[in-house]
Amino acid sequence: MSQIPSWCPGCGAYTVNLALKKALAQLRLKRKNVVACYDIGCSGNMVNVLDVCGFETLHGRSIPVATGIKTVRPELTVIAQAGDGGLLNEGLNHFIHAAQRNIPITLIVNNNLVFGLTAGQQSSTTPQGVRVRGSRHENPLPPLSAVDLAAAAGARFIARVPEGELGLMQKSFEKALCFKGFAVVEIIQPCKIWAKDFPKMEFKKISKPFLDRTKFTGRANLAGILYSKEG
Amino acid sequence: MQLGELLSAALNSAGYFTLVYPEYPSRIRGGDNNVQIVISNSAQLTPRQRVDALFALDKNLADAHRREVKPNGSTFNAVSLGLIDVPAVKSNPLVKNTALAGLIWRFLGLEKGILSRQIKKTFPKYTAVNLEAAEAGWKLASKTKGLDLAPTSSKIFGATGNEVFASSALKADCQYASIYPMTPITSLARYLAKSKIKVIAPEDEIFAALSTLGASYAGKRALTATSGGGFCLMTEAIGLAAMAEIPLVIILGQRSGPSSGMPTYSSQADLNFAIWGGHGDFEKIVLAPGDLEEIARLTPEAFNLAERYQIPVIILTDKYLSESRFSTNQAIDKIKIKIDRGKRYERNSKIYNRYKLTKDGISPRAYPGETTFLTNSYEHDEEGFSADDVQTRQAMMAKRARKLASLPGGYEIYGHKSAKEIVVGWGSTKSQLVELSHGFPQLKFIHIWRPWPFPEKMKSELKRARKVIVAENNFSGQMAKIIENETSVKVAKILKDDGRPFFFEELTKAIEAKL
Repeated sequence: MSQIPSWCPGCGAYTVNLALKKALAQLRLKRKNVVACYDIGCSGNMVNVLDVCGFETLHGRSIPVATGIKTVRPELTVIAQAGDGGLLNEGLNHFIHAAQRNIPITLIVNNNLVFGLTAGQQSSTTPQGVRVRGSRHENPLPPLSAVDLAAAAGARFIARVPEGELGLMQKSFEKALCFKGFAVVEIIQPCKIWAKDFPKMEFKKISKPFLDRTKFTGRANLAGILYSKEG
Repeated sequence: MQLGELLSAALNSAGYFTLVYPEYPSRIRGGDNNVQIVISNSAQLTPRQRVDALFALDKNLADAHRREVKPNGSTFNAVSLGLIDVPAVKSNPLVKNTALAGLIWRFLGLEKGILSRQIKKTFPKYTAVNLEAAEAGWKLASKTKGLDLAPTSSKIFGATGNEVFASSALKADCQYASIYPMTPITSLARYLAKSKIKVIAPEDEIFAALSTLGASYAGKRALTATSGGGFCLMTEAIGLAAMAEIPLVIILGQRSGPSSGMPTYSSQADLNFAIWGGHGDFEKIVLAPGDLEEIARLTPEAFNLAERYQIPVIILTDKYLSESRFSTNQAIDKIKIKIDRGKRYERNSKIYNRYKLTKDGISPRAYPGETTFLTNSYEHDEEGFSADDVQTRQAMMAKRARKLASLPGGYEIYGHKSAKEIVVGWGSTKSQLVELSHGFPQLKFIHIWRPWPFPEKMKSELKRARKVIVAENNFSGQMAKIIENETSVKVAKILKDDGRPFFFEELTKAIEAKL
């Protein structure tokens, strides 16, 4: 049950799709017991290529739908997927409150630093000074960070993974899917189409999670499971 | 409100029907808080323009409402009567209302024991102090008017609309609710939160509607409720429910708009919004119960309709119906309901397509955990994959449009069944129409309880009429225009949009003027 992916060659979404499939297989979860709620956007098109109970919701609204599902059917594994536009622009309020509520949902953030599907407008994660192809000027605004906001709102599982790190991505997904609480995994996957001049990002992989949520905020180059504390 | 609740409960147990209509401003303390209590030995009750007795807790209130007292009526000012100076009230001003209840009870000429028993029930923790206050109030009432009504012997049940919405939703096996507080549905959220079902306090009405939709998708009956302002934020969920074919039940409690409007006052001006809210062409059902019995029947029915047709169903209420306290001798809690979860996935089916094209447009519904399947807000094929080809689009639009092909009923007739002059109302005006039907035996009265889809059989009923008068609580005559549009019958309008429900006297006069 699958279609041909709609993503452009080289898109990070392929890796995310692959890592998620591997993680679900590794955890031996039955496909019918996994619900994935998708955002609208390039990355949300995963609904057509991941064989679980897929639910394409609305822009910015995968978290509310996922929360309703998990609340009445706690035995299901529930994933909410969002792009940077659907998480930090349209649906930001749901993100903050999901972290506050700590209902066990795995949030996958496909951060491509731009509005992709509407042809390249700057999103709230577009780096400052970068001109994306759908905007007339360089972005004058400093970007928002999903990881920093998650930390500030009290999320108990926070990971950041660069798109090339398949192993780390799979491991992060596995840990997040088993986590008893709201778990955030952000994938940094700069769009290959709408900005060719994203500054090259060098990530520093950390070996074990921080014990204090204030220690990794403001440090956009840190990768790995940054925080993990059930309770 | 507390006083109205106490007195109506006591009056109901004394064998009288009551209608308690509260008015209050949007502030926590002070302002004009008043409650009208209509007492009768007949069940159909309508708020009145003029009262027989006014009991005011301060001078401002006495002045503000003096003109609402009948020429031969009585006015009691609690301050000049010394109610706030009695020791019970002085030591605990919170029992002022109970002291006033004692005063009113004696004025009504009713047996003291009935009120005392009710006080014990209402204030189990603070019985003594309230009994003392009621006694003090009782002593202050110098004259006894006595009710010139014979009490009924039947058991009378009193409740607000919201109480019955909540109890009926629970009876219909609702398992989840998410409701952002907003007059007039806040108390509904409170009743549901007291139950055992899962209730989440939402960050906004977008979450409320979409998490409700999520719970419903997952196979549990779920409910959200809001007022017009919150409904604005819910329209995207309504479209999603239509496209993804997920049952969604929303209670929309109307209040005076537009925008913040008069937040604690009543209105019927969200009819068009309920019917047309949402982009794109899709089917939905709008119900508008008019009294406690209808709320008790239509709330469970809303869940059945939503699940049978896998569509959004909106139940319209308003501040008057939701927050007023009504009474009835019908055994509301004994009303039998049927639970219909609609066409379901069969375990042994080899191929399961969530959006299978069927003759009646309805595809068997699976819940996650039963099998894997796709659910999609994009246009989709039978399997649920996103699609935008002509053939799929046409087939799927036609499939969804087929669902409500033959929905029966939608209205009720009162009064003279074959009269050529018809008065039409919908939703919360039902009790007014029913009471008026006794005063105008030459007229036919139609109460519409399902504004949308427009009741098909009613069209011929209206086309045969010599005169059609539509009475509704909005400024532009929204139902009147719908009727004109659906039937080409020209209608006369009786409109009121000042935040108050129709009062019996004014509606009587208005109908007389239109005849």
